[in-house]
Amino acid sequence: MLPLLYVAFSALTADPAVWRRLWATRVPELFLNTLSLSLGVAVINLTLGVSLAWILTRYTFVGSKIWDWLLILPLSIPSYVLAYTYTYLLKRGGTLEQVWQTIAGPEAVFFSPFSFAGAVLVLALNTFPFVYLLTRSAFKNFNVSFEEVARTTGADRVTTFFRVSLPLIRPSLIAGLFLAILYVASDFGAVSLLRFQTFTYAVYQQMTGRFDNTAAACLSLVLVACAFVFLFGERWFRQRSRFYQTTSRYRKPVPQPCRPLTALLFTGYLLLVFGAAFGLPVLLLIQWTVKAASAGEISHVFIGYVWNSVSLSGITATAAVICGIPLAYLACRRRTWASTFCVQGAYTGYVLPGPIAALAVLVLVSQTVPQLYGTILVLLMAYLVHFLPAALQGMESTLQQLTPNLEEAARSLGARSLRTFFHVTLPLVRGGFLSAWILVFVQCMKELPASLLLRQVGFDTLAVRIWLEASEELYQLAAPPALLIVVITIPVVLLLMRKDQT
Amino acid sequence: MSPPDDKPLVLELKNVSCSYEAGTRAVEGISFSARKGDIICLLGPSGCGKTTTLRAIAGFEPVSSGDIRLNGAIVSATDRQIPPERRRVGMVFQDYALFPHLTVRDNVGFGLTYATGDNHRSRIDEMLSLTGLSELARRYPHALSGGQQQRAALARALAPQPVLLLLDEPFSNLDPDTTERMRVELLHLLKTTQTTAVLVTHDHEEAFAMADYVAVLNNGKLEQFSTPETIYHLPVSPFVAEFVGQADFIPGTIRDSVVVTQLGTFPVPSGYRGGPEVVVMIRPDDVHIRENGNGEGTVKSRQFRGSEIIYGIRLGSGDVVHSSEASTRFFPLDAKVELEVIATHTVLFDRKP
Amino acid sequence: MKQRIRRNRPVILIRNVLLFLVATLALPSWVYAGDTLVVYSGRAERLIQPVLDAFQAESGISVQMLTADSTALINRLQMEGARTPADVLITNDAGTLERARELQLLQTTTIPDLDTTIPSRFRAPDNSWIGLSGRIWVIVYNTTMVRLGDISSILDLADPQWKGKIAIPGAGSVYLQTGVSVIRAVKGDEITTTFLQGLKDNAGSFVYGKNRQIVAAVARGEVAAGLVNHYYINRHLAKHPDAPIAPLLTDQEDQGMGVVLNAAGVGITAQTKRLAPAQALVRFLISPKGQRMFANVNKEYPLNPHVTAAPELLPLQSFQVALVPLSRLAQLRNPTMTVIENVGLR
Repeated sequence: MLPLLYVAFSALTADPAVWRRLWATRVPELFLNTLSLSLGVAVINLTLGVSLAWILTRYTFVGSKIWDWLLILPLSIPSYVLAYTYTYLLKRGGTLEQVWQTIAGPEAVFFSPFSFAGAVLVLALNTFPFVYLLTRSAFKNFNVSFEEVARTTGADRVTTFFRVSLPLIRPSLIAGLFLAILYVASDFGAVSLLRFQTFTYAVYQQMTGRFDNTAAACLSLVLVACAFVFLFGERWFRQRSRFYQTTSRYRKPVPQPCRPLTALLFTGYLLLVFGAAFGLPVLLLIQWTVKAASAGEISHVFIGYVWNSVSLSGITATAAVICGIPLAYLACRRRTWASTFCVQGAYTGYVLPGPIAALAVLVLVSQTVPQLYGTILVLLMAYLVHFLPAALQGMESTLQQLTPNLEEAARSLGARSLRTFFHVTLPLVRGGFLSAWILVFVQCMKELPASLLLRQVGFDTLAVRIWLEASEELYQLAAPPALLIVVITIPVVLLLMRKDQT
Repeated sequence: MSPPDDKPLVLELKNVSCSYEAGTRAVEGISFSARKGDIICLLGPSGCGKTTTLRAIAGFEPVSSGDIRLNGAIVSATDRQIPPERRRVGMVFQDYALFPHLTVRDNVGFGLTYATGDNHRSRIDEMLSLTGLSELARRYPHALSGGQQQRAALARALAPQPVLLLLDEPFSNLDPDTTERMRVELLHLLKTTQTTAVLVTHDHEEAFAMADYVAVLNNGKLEQFSTPETIYHLPVSPFVAEFVGQADFIPGTIRDSVVVTQLGTFPVPSGYRGGPEVVVMIRPDDVHIRENGNGEGTVKSRQFRGSEIIYGIRLGSGDVVHSSEASTRFFPLDAKVELEVIATHTVLFDRKP
Repeated sequence: MKQRIRRNRPVILIRNVLLFLVATLALPSWVYAGDTLVVYSGRAERLIQPVLDAFQAESGISVQMLTADSTALINRLQMEGARTPADVLITNDAGTLERARELQLLQTTTIPDLDTTIPSRFRAPDNSWIGLSGRIWVIVYNTTMVRLGDISSILDLADPQWKGKIAIPGAGSVYLQTGVSVIRAVKGDEITTTFLQGLKDNAGSFVYGKNRQIVAAVARGEVAAGLVNHYYINRHLAKHPDAPIAPLLTDQEDQGMGVVLNAAGVGITAQTKRLAPAQALVRFLISPKGQRMFANVNKEYPLNPHVTAAPELLPLQSFQVALVPLSRLAQLRNPTMTVIENVGLR
């Protein structure tokens, strides 16, 4: 919260000329780019997410259970890794273009990865699981009577789908799209590698391309303001469109077996999406890693990067959980005006894209404790500002599930409140706190912009290495760290998914 | 088994079977039919296949044998299956399934997409006033009471003027008071609109109150299809006998064209084709208690029901029969009594099968 | 959920957490190991690491490097102030070095043989930075699509006849910024703006982040010409000797502007606590051996006149270079950015 206020302050006290210049040259374009990118991704997400969820909740065929799991895996690929594999796949004369030319003739050209289409494709493939997951659970718990009643009144399948099924899952759909759009707007990795100008990328460029941070702060303020408008808009919309189930008893959909040809068609479609979003990139990474390994390009230096990433992420995750404990406790047990303010303040980190979190911490540190600049602590602070909300959310919901009666029972048995906390509350919520820790750990492993801007000398993380090598288009060198991050992230994604299902 | 009438046949089921998975049959060999304006109740315990039958008529379940006809045209057979939206059947679901994202008015108008604008509006208004919902037209379903929701669901189903109306346990989500009122309302509505309807229920009182014909289902098979009176007085199986009201079964033996039992002798009905060892069905309202200190029966239980009292009387053999007496007639427990059975029809079942 | 609460459990949990914290916090502390020379490099790691490795092998001084955008490094040095770990700054752009000098982030380098190795026009007036290698901004053209004589000035690229036929670097490119600064200094803002507008219109979607992509696009004939640093052409030809591409040095007529030359260079930070090893590195970099490595690894022009450039390059003396002093590039930088942004280049 404090860092954000600092950014706002330095933006608002900026020379009006800076504002005028930005307003005249950058802001409209960035706004348009960010908006159109978000919309493009949203449209593809909607199509992919809804169709995949529909297929997998309404039909059974060979392997349909496995697909259920496979389709979440794209979440384990950081956006910049996907972007860099696609710069390879989509480059002129690249694999995809050759395939395309054998189909559409030798003159056919594929769109460049460094374009609007490229950015939309990469980010959509990266974020469609959000929409898919939420839509899927909405379809799974859907009351089929709604569809059947529509059929009996004369609506055919298609009409029923668009007039009844889709409107009814609107809240889930919007929640999924909201997540995806927030992700797109705050993404740095993919847009920087694909050089598509969005607000987040522009903040980074202003920070690295100019000799002062005022312009970056101004752009940040505009973006954060937009994000807030978006957040409140979503909340307002969700409240308006809250639907009530008319009864608690309802018929859940029963997946129908489908004909071999349809099953083949579905499998082909799923294979295409999964291949594009996960299979192909990971195969490429594996191939490059094997090449790099056999060329002896993986040295002890690489182990050093692994260690940097792991230790940094470990410290941040631990710090986030420790900072989160009192905040989550306040949020759940002692709701007062002040505590709500504290907790909501911590949540503002959510709407801060990485470069802005970095900028905020940078500005704060340089004006208060400049001694810290250039040390690892600055990066830790940025991580914390950025990822505390994620930890907090997990911990808060864990604490909420725990009935206060237990604590009151302990108090009635004579335990003081601190003792109660350590002996009763903490042991019981350990599981939830552990998954919060893991969540933050993985987020930190993947974190790019703040690491890039604030890293200490000789303290490159895996993500930074991937980005540096990938922006030089040294595909082989970037592959081993990328593969490692994906491998570390997969179990966590599956773990969170399983919790989601139970 | 079609009711003898000269009104046109609306619905015919011939030997219909449905199966969820190959091998297990949910419904087997069901046949019945309905004429214009008839109300048919599908009655049976849960899992008997009544809802499956209803869904087969609506077109949601394919038939694995036999066929279903609506207005004489085949809509379901093993080789053809008209989709639900082209059958012109209306359906009211157990949970009403009112679209929560549409107002009452839009819900009612949902099926009228193909009517022209003016017709559309006047039809909705007509349905709303018919169901007494005109005042609530702008509300959303969650703001309606249970009874109002049911009326809205009914209006929605009736708006497109379906050939046949299907109702799946329409009263199961209502409290008893509302249920009573809604039954009367529904019956009135169906009769004034001359709607042919098939209603699913597990409550025989509901079936008797509503139906022109009742189809009793058990284990996926149609046990009996008849008027409520016939079902009650002349059940074709012990299951039907028990399911539609309290019944006791007294063993007896056929000797010289009469059934001899511990409660006396009864005539053998002409249709009976079974063996000589039988049980006789006796309903509590056929049994009358006479005070007699030396009687064979002993009063073992007493259940006060307001207008009547149901006594359980143990006979000398140990069998228990029940008697319904006016609530003014009081017998203490363990009192010795004598029983008299006055029945217009004797209902016999073979003891062997 | 089965949960037994035993007295010692939370204690163990907390102890473990604390142990982990201490362990992880202690780890990164080796980074500031005393005698290591710290280099901030705006030059790509691939191009500088071999040179530093050679220096390390020769002198026994260990070197650690942080690579980032040149501007970001200046911002960083400024923020770190007296606490900076950096001893040496290397960038690919003389403008950035000059900016660092203005901000007093660099100190005067006093090395005896400086005057005999690097000509003064490639150094800061006070020797606080020293040019190491030169790179010229040229037009790469497809020899089957462009006839010599079609283009003579860089400004010709704005001519509508090249619509859809040229490729240019993105607005983030330091090379573009330097080139535009030089053009502004020679021709003024008005001509520059018109030029950029035409460039933008002609390039359309052929705006690339990497010079290498521009060269590749020209080689494939997707566009007829593009603006790049000269060595990217040599790099491409080394891999594809038959590629139909060649460099075109612009504005070579009498009294012409000359080609834009920029220099990669080095400076010692004002705050260094390891002056001797830092000076040793600078001396290595201007020595013939260091010069050959530094320049040739990237086919740039060594600025030490005693060291010959790679044989495939036109000799530095054989063409005209724009006479804008390298030290002016810094002042020109911010207004140049504004001009570029006003035109709307991306």
